[in-house]
Amino acid sequence: MKWQRRFGRGVVAEFSKNRYLYLLALPGTLFLIVFAYIPMSAHLLAFKDFRLSDGLWGSKWVGFDNFRYFFSGNDWLRVTYNTLFLNGLFLVFGLGFAVMLAIFLSEVISPLFKRVAQSFVFLPYFISWIVISMMTQALFSTSEGIINKTLNSLGFEGVEWYLTPSVWPAILTIIYIWKFAGYNSIIFLAGITGISPEYYESAKLEGATRFQQMIYITLPLLRPIILLMLLLGVGRIFYGDFGMIYAIVGDIGVLYPTTDVIDTFAYRALRQLGNFSTSSAVVLYQSVMGLITVVIFNAIAKRIDTDSRLF
Amino acid sequence: MVELRERAFVVMMYTVLVIFALVCFLPFWLVIINSFATETSIQTQGYQFFPRGFSLSAYEYLFSGKQLFSSYKVTLFVTTVGTLLAVLITATYAYTLSHPRVKYRNILSFLTYFTMLFGAGLVGFYMLIANWLGLKDSIWALILPYLLNPFYAFILVSFFRTLPFEMNEAATVDGANDLVIFFRIIWPISTPIIATVSLFYALSYWNDWWLSLLFVDNYKLHPLQMMIRQLMSNLNAKAYVAGSGTNYNIVVPTFGMQLAIVCVTIGPILFVYPFIQKYFVKGITIGAIKG
Repeated sequence: MKWQRRFGRGVVAEFSKNRYLYLLALPGTLFLIVFAYIPMSAHLLAFKDFRLSDGLWGSKWVGFDNFRYFFSGNDWLRVTYNTLFLNGLFLVFGLGFAVMLAIFLSEVISPLFKRVAQSFVFLPYFISWIVISMMTQALFSTSEGIINKTLNSLGFEGVEWYLTPSVWPAILTIIYIWKFAGYNSIIFLAGITGISPEYYESAKLEGATRFQQMIYITLPLLRPIILLMLLLGVGRIFYGDFGMIYAIVGDIGVLYPTTDVIDTFAYRALRQLGNFSTSSAVVLYQSVMGLITVVIFNAIAKRIDTDSRLF
Repeated sequence: MVELRERAFVVMMYTVLVIFALVCFLPFWLVIINSFATETSIQTQGYQFFPRGFSLSAYEYLFSGKQLFSSYKVTLFVTTVGTLLAVLITATYAYTLSHPRVKYRNILSFLTYFTMLFGAGLVGFYMLIANWLGLKDSIWALILPYLLNPFYAFILVSFFRTLPFEMNEAATVDGANDLVIFFRIIWPISTPIIATVSLFYALSYWNDWWLSLLFVDNYKLHPLQMMIRQLMSNLNAKAYVAGSGTNYNIVVPTFGMQLAIVCVTIGPILFVYPFIQKYFVKGITIGAIKG
């Protein structure tokens, strides 16, 4: 009992000594408790047969029934595959293109050209997915879209883009690159700026071309940042970008085979079908898988390179 | 030979940059220029890079209704109030997290970090806002959920850590308590980074449509982004834009209106963009090169 009292006194002493500092942190702490920790209790719904009238605590326990239901169909395979596949594409091509963009931008000598180019490529980051979906329609719409109009004028037949699932992973990847390449390139540019010019000077003395300098100096020295960005991305690989996919593809059932991700699936179950319990099971599955991937990849990162680990 | 290859490579580099910069810009051009096209031109020719007819009817129609003004008001309110509150809460919280005298700062940091790893998920979030807090169809549902972004908090923490602690001690000796120190000393000298984080928050409030999709059915509380979405999917655009009880006997420029509302929404962003771009760059750079 003694240690408890001492512990309690320690806590009280700490809080009274730094009471103003804890007061400053109070709104933030309350926010986290209310908006992050309390809603976690809803994961319990995954094990219950939720009825709105009975509430979270009053609803009947059903064990793993919701999971059995979710895993018995083919939906879970499809949404998991789509989530991982799309995020994989975004990561590989998105980061790859951003690295290339950063290297090219860093090689530009004219400050004016660099400023203008950078402003343009960074611009898409500032607009919402809704606006982007508007632009996507202007390009891909079957009857009014620019692409089909161009195809028609060249004598080809237009493609019904919004009815062809197979093209969407590519389209979504291009849109992802379009929106984020400029943003991500800034991170890599910062890394390139940090590289000591001495490397390049000695390489030039040895007669290395610009291309060789990129491959043998810039890229290897950027490796830690690239790895870190990759890890951050892999950690979120179970989370589809709901804003992106729902805005651009929306509820077009024909496209589900390639575009339905865990998040859109959970949203539909919740909002359109009103099925809280199924949605909870899906979301819990997602959260747990997400946590596991972060922990595993952090451990791997620690092995490879202690500087790259996340925590 | 090497010279030639070198030159070819440089040309290739500039070509890629120019093409990608154009690709980034053209959709904006497309939306803006076609919002001034006549409705018939869009219907027959589709969206064009240089449409032939010129018409302001889309804007006229948009501005004649009530919805645009109410949506603009909602977006402005949410962005202003949300950003102010979010920055205040995040900065005060981050300051405590960064303060060397706070014994439990690591616990607080972990509790913050953990929310980035393991979320409550959609269901918990939905139930919290809609059922437990009863914020369905309330403007606060569009503000409260974004008040503290752990990532921005950590950006501020890493900045506060770079401040010399002696300053703090000197102020304490002079009899200032931590509240005074924060608001009188720390806050003013942190203006650049606070401005940066404010811009990030403002952008996420301005661009958000997810919260309104989930929680706002009342069209009077639709922010601009939600209004765009409604105009894209709503067959009865006429009643939506103009308000009920109005009876216009003209053809509604549906396509033009979708483009015009996009222009009205991104206009302010494009307008301030040249001035704020460098702050974003600073924020991204600090965020990326954290500990």
